[in-house]
Amino acid sequence: MGIIIGVLEQGLIYGVMALGIYITYKILDFPDLTVDGSFPMGAAVTAALLTKGVNPYLALLVSFLAGAVAGICTGLIHVKLKVRDLLSGIIMMTALYSINLRITGKANVPIFSNETVLENSVVNSVFAKIPVFQNLIVALIIALVVKFLLDAYLKTKSGYLLRAVGDNENLVTSLAKDQGRVKIIGLAIANAMVALGGSVMCQQQRFFEVSMGTGTMVIGLASVIIGTNIFKNTKIKPTTAVLIGSIIYKGCVAFAIWRGLKATDMKLITSALFLIIIVVTMDRKRKVKGNA
Amino acid sequence: MLELQNINKYYNPGTINEMCLFDNFSLSVNKGEFVSVVGSNGSGKTSMLNIICGSIDIDGGKILINDKNITRMKEFERNKVIGRVYQNPSMGTCPTMTILENMSIADNKGKTFGLGRGTNKARINFYKEQLKQLNLGLEDKLNIKVGSLSGGQRQAMALLMATMTPIDFLILDEHTAALDPKTADLIMELTDKVVKEKNLTTIMVTHNLRYAIEYGNRLIMMHQGNAILDKNAVEKAETKVEDILKMFNQISIECGN
Amino acid sequence: MKKRILALVLGLAMITALAGCTKKEETPKPAESSATPNSDSKKEEATDGKNYTIGISQFAVHGSLDNCREGFLQGLAQEGIVEGQNLTVTYENAQADTGTAGQIADSFVANGVDMICAIATPSAASAYTATMKSNIPVIYTAVSDPISAGFARVDGTPVAEITGTSDKLPVEQQLEMIRKMLPDAKSIGIIYTTSEANSEATVKEYEAAVSKYGFTLETVGINTTADIPLAADNLLAKVDCINNLTDNTVVQGLATVLSKANAAKIPVFGSEVEQVKNGCLAAVGLDYTGLGIQTGEMAAKVLKGEAKASEMNFELISECGLYVNKAVATDLGIKLDDAYVGTAVESFDEIAK
Repeated sequence: MGIIIGVLEQGLIYGVMALGIYITYKILDFPDLTVDGSFPMGAAVTAALLTKGVNPYLALLVSFLAGAVAGICTGLIHVKLKVRDLLSGIIMMTALYSINLRITGKANVPIFSNETVLENSVVNSVFAKIPVFQNLIVALIIALVVKFLLDAYLKTKSGYLLRAVGDNENLVTSLAKDQGRVKIIGLAIANAMVALGGSVMCQQQRFFEVSMGTGTMVIGLASVIIGTNIFKNTKIKPTTAVLIGSIIYKGCVAFAIWRGLKATDMKLITSALFLIIIVVTMDRKRKVKGNA
Repeated sequence: MLELQNINKYYNPGTINEMCLFDNFSLSVNKGEFVSVVGSNGSGKTSMLNIICGSIDIDGGKILINDKNITRMKEFERNKVIGRVYQNPSMGTCPTMTILENMSIADNKGKTFGLGRGTNKARINFYKEQLKQLNLGLEDKLNIKVGSLSGGQRQAMALLMATMTPIDFLILDEHTAALDPKTADLIMELTDKVVKEKNLTTIMVTHNLRYAIEYGNRLIMMHQGNAILDKNAVEKAETKVEDILKMFNQISIECGN
Repeated sequence: MKKRILALVLGLAMITALAGCTKKEETPKPAESSATPNSDSKKEEATDGKNYTIGISQFAVHGSLDNCREGFLQGLAQEGIVEGQNLTVTYENAQADTGTAGQIADSFVANGVDMICAIATPSAASAYTATMKSNIPVIYTAVSDPISAGFARVDGTPVAEITGTSDKLPVEQQLEMIRKMLPDAKSIGIIYTTSEANSEATVKEYEAAVSKYGFTLETVGINTTADIPLAADNLLAKVDCINNLTDNTVVQGLATVLSKANAAKIPVFGSEVEQVKNGCLAAVGLDYTGLGIQTGEMAAKVLKGEAKASEMNFELISECGLYVNKAVATDLGIKLDDAYVGTAVESFDEIAK
């Protein structure tokens, strides 16, 4: 029971991050490695603010904005300086490592005694009777709010344009819109969501650790691919599928731990599982080529 | 009125493969003209379109639209007054978005793409009417993804989307080349209808000599970066496919092909 | 759809298969488990015949941390709590992923272990978070600064049912040792990774302390192992000896530093026993196995109910031993004070290859 709650909790929190990766990977078709830096950035900002006594909800917002700035930087590097997508992300990811250390001043910051969005006097009183589900329900609310906001955004004009730029950059130019700017907006939103996930994660685990971003991209990508492939031809929305994918991924990790899997094999198994899912559900994206 | 003045364009400048495509090339297209452009491969037809639209930079010269210099204007800015249909049917539509969504973004061209609702429900009937003109039954498939349509259907949509909002110029870049003959005819007829209806100034590059003769009111033949033939409406009316073909052969012999 | 199900089945099958293969190795039983029933009963007597379960959460695969874990089990065994007899151990490694560390801690709490042993700061922090709503004690080790990590108050008392040992380096004793070994040396060089908080903190301590022992300090900050050769060349031109910390990145490139230093006939001091084995001249430093044993002894007290975790302050390594490598001294032509070397916990006559 405790393990299942833990899996759901972490799955939903990482799901917020995975939704950001869904934007870059599935919608923008941009392999964005910035996330390995923006996820801990959200955590760093949160840890730094909470230790200064800032309201945890405000910390969520500031983390979101900080992530957006990181995304904008990656976008500018890619669009304005014409650096390739993968490299732009790597450059930003590397830079963010130092920036995160600057934000917190040290590699590990505890926030054990601070109020968080998951545990504060208000929330505690609401869940006084079912404390076991408290973190889970709060995480669920956060994940759903983010999901619905993203769904709503993708139905706006701006959202249409974002989807169009990943599909067919050319059409965006034809619509007299700067496709570079649309990409930057997309990266900003995506990294803002990743940082938000990092912020919630930090508040849940109650510490910031500079290395906590390592592998974010892989976890997010796995969640997106697992989720969207399993529910490909169903009525379930891709955003919902991503959240479920994230829970499945965390479930697999928990299963591996429970079965007493040798720790050293875990990454190998992750990648093998990953490969199987990609190969079996291979859908080569029909990407529109550049100018005719 | 569109003017290309003394355009110079080199490919691979400064390298051993340097190639001069345009040397002092000039062309003007008047309002309301429908220009058919023919020419062999590498003659500069598509490059000319790309230069007009701003997809490629030029090394010298000026581009003017209605006497306004747009040489330094970015591609996406120029597209405010230009609609373009490409050879590849998937270039003019978004495959993962539905027909309705594609129509909606095309309809919003020139306006801001803000946080308002993406599809204006009040416009749906208008979209249906537009699609109905195509006679492809697309008006009943509004929620189907464009990616699942055939090339011809997509090209028809691309044409519709490119001309949905008021534009000054329509650029057709071998837009029937990837289609089967029957669909190509259909798209060509549709093009003619739209151009006449909206009185669009049009430049059409084509390899189909029959279309070049049959449609439009001006004919240009390009060769090695020059317009070696430029017939106005009256002259064009007297020109036959065989005449053009003959000229083609002549050029080929000169080139040693 | 078929394909997708197939993928899922294949994936699960693979995990299960691998899990099946490795299941047996889950709790590697130490040699003691084959002990005679006689000694068995004796041990059980010592611990009131109770059976304990401990979850060990280790942050990464790393030689020093592995030593810690082994030492921890030895320490428990010394107190009569022996794996396979009256102790069940579940060992998990987070593979340097804090998310996984959290899941591991959650699973330990869900399984109702008697204690979590957390190795390295992120694992300790995850374990502390996970146990907040339970009364499972956490014993940590290899945490450099328990106070700034939030496990202890400034006076060293634990903030909750969490205590353990710190692997903080004995800076002053190290400097004293270097002074004894090299009476004429004027300057010490340190290479460290700028992103490793522990190293930066230790460098600051050295900066504050060197003058007391008549040294000056030269430091070079690096980012990756690739920077080590240049950093070493740079430093060797300026200093009389190099002092190596427990910096993870630099330790990976220690061989490079050593070969360059040997060529320049400049001694390199280490900070833990492994480094001395591998060719550092000497160290007053950590023996992570020893640290683990010390931690195990603390854990035993808590398990037996002799003391609560919240009643014990965290401990530094109680005895910092001197480690000397005589082969290195011979290579460098350094004459060692035999009486001093005699006080070494361990001295080596060859350099480990």
